[in-house]
Amino acid sequence: MENKIYNDDSSREEFIEKYDKGTHFIGRLSTAVCTVLFCGAPFVIGIYLGAMPDLSAAAKGYLSVGLVWTVSSVVEFLVYTPMLGAGGGYLAFITGNLINMKIPCAMNAREIAGTKSGTTENEIISTLSIAASSLVTILILACGVMLLIPLQPILQSEALQPAFENVVPALFGAMAYQYYRKNLKLALVPLVIMTILYLFVPSLTSQTSLMILPSGALTIGLAYLSWKKKSGKEGRS
Amino acid sequence: MIDILNSLPMYLICGGIILVVALVCVVFMVRAYRAGIAIGMDQKKLKYAVTSSITFSILPSVGILLGVIALSGSLGTPWPWLRLSVIGALHYETQVAEAAAEQVGMSQLSASAMTPQAFTTIALLMSICIIWGMVLSFFFNKSYLKKLQGRKESGEADAKNKKEGFGDTAMTAMFIGLVSAYMGSYIGSFVSGKGMFTFQGDITPIIVAVVSALVMAVFTYFAEKKHMVWLESFSIAGSMLIGMIAAVLI
Repeated sequence: MENKIYNDDSSREEFIEKYDKGTHFIGRLSTAVCTVLFCGAPFVIGIYLGAMPDLSAAAKGYLSVGLVWTVSSVVEFLVYTPMLGAGGGYLAFITGNLINMKIPCAMNAREIAGTKSGTTENEIISTLSIAASSLVTILILACGVMLLIPLQPILQSEALQPAFENVVPALFGAMAYQYYRKNLKLALVPLVIMTILYLFVPSLTSQTSLMILPSGALTIGLAYLSWKKKSGKEGRS
Repeated sequence: MIDILNSLPMYLICGGIILVVALVCVVFMVRAYRAGIAIGMDQKKLKYAVTSSITFSILPSVGILLGVIALSGSLGTPWPWLRLSVIGALHYETQVAEAAAEQVGMSQLSASAMTPQAFTTIALLMSICIIWGMVLSFFFNKSYLKKLQGRKESGEADAKNKKEGFGDTAMTAMFIGLVSAYMGSYIGSFVSGKGMFTFQGDITPIIVAVVSALVMAVFTYFAEKKHMVWLESFSIAGSMLIGMIAAVLI
């Protein structure tokens, strides 16, 4: 790619289209390669260990635990792809840890950069954000694995356990402040409804990743109603 | 058995795959950065997006590293290292590994009962249960995004001013819904987790979330009112850290 700045509209448009096509090509290629690698790895290890995976046990296991995760994968794909855009989407599904890291990370970068969803600027910011985030994880895990032996007693010390068990609440507390304060009225409804739901059906707390869907749909619905009302008023005045 | 699972060939197989993924990330990053400059985006903004994402990701990554440590006792280090560096998520891997161990006839996930075949079967199950996001992404990312885009464009043609901006509002709303689902679950499991309305559940997540939100409020105050914009890159990570410290103290 040449380092040229596209100022006039038509060449910029053309460039964006080319970039977009390239993103899908590279995205698909790398997704395919990684899928083969991830699923192939147990068999390669099988050759090394001299014992192939027991396929019927794996199939049974899939039916018992895998189906839930399959549903949640579909939900994740439908919900997060529009948030992440093309490049960010391909990368995020390869590198995982969406809800506890990639999504808030991309939202944060977008907030700081001030880009609008659906624009090329947003697509670029979110790709940069997801790539940077993935590389940090890969790097920290690689270093961590190397240092694992000296680090193990510190990280597994009884005193520090509560901290690491509460990474997710810590993250969502901070994000909640960021999003609630600008949309307090909107946030109150799903928060109250979800809380009441969990109070009466406590077993649902272990299914939080699935509960995101009704909660999100409800909030989008409410946001749509108030947005429609507002834009209707503006249209009349 | 655990020695074989921690042997050099295992590190090479898993490390090699991680390296491929790292390269993919680098390719995407360089492309996006160049494209950003080509369409005239502020270079500072692009760098800011990268640095803020780096600082943001450090703490959650340390949390993920703990997942590797937790699983390394029974599965050896290389395999959890691979699973958690890519595709997987902490809560997922742990849960599926345990369930998979049950399927191959182990009472629980442990190194002493592990056989080579049990290991490869568990590894396969951990891989296939969560592959669907990638499969869908391969087949439908392009058409799905195009459809959303198309809907937006036709909407804009209908009533340009009216339709503008809801995409953004919808994303914010989705996120509010998501955060609310989690917040609700913390309150719910504290109040009803150990029997309905007994208030015997774990209160720590609520305290951590509240502390973290308060710290975030302080950061935001300084960033906005005192114009210390650089704080923004650290505000989330800082709030999380203090929230997590609160969990240790109580």
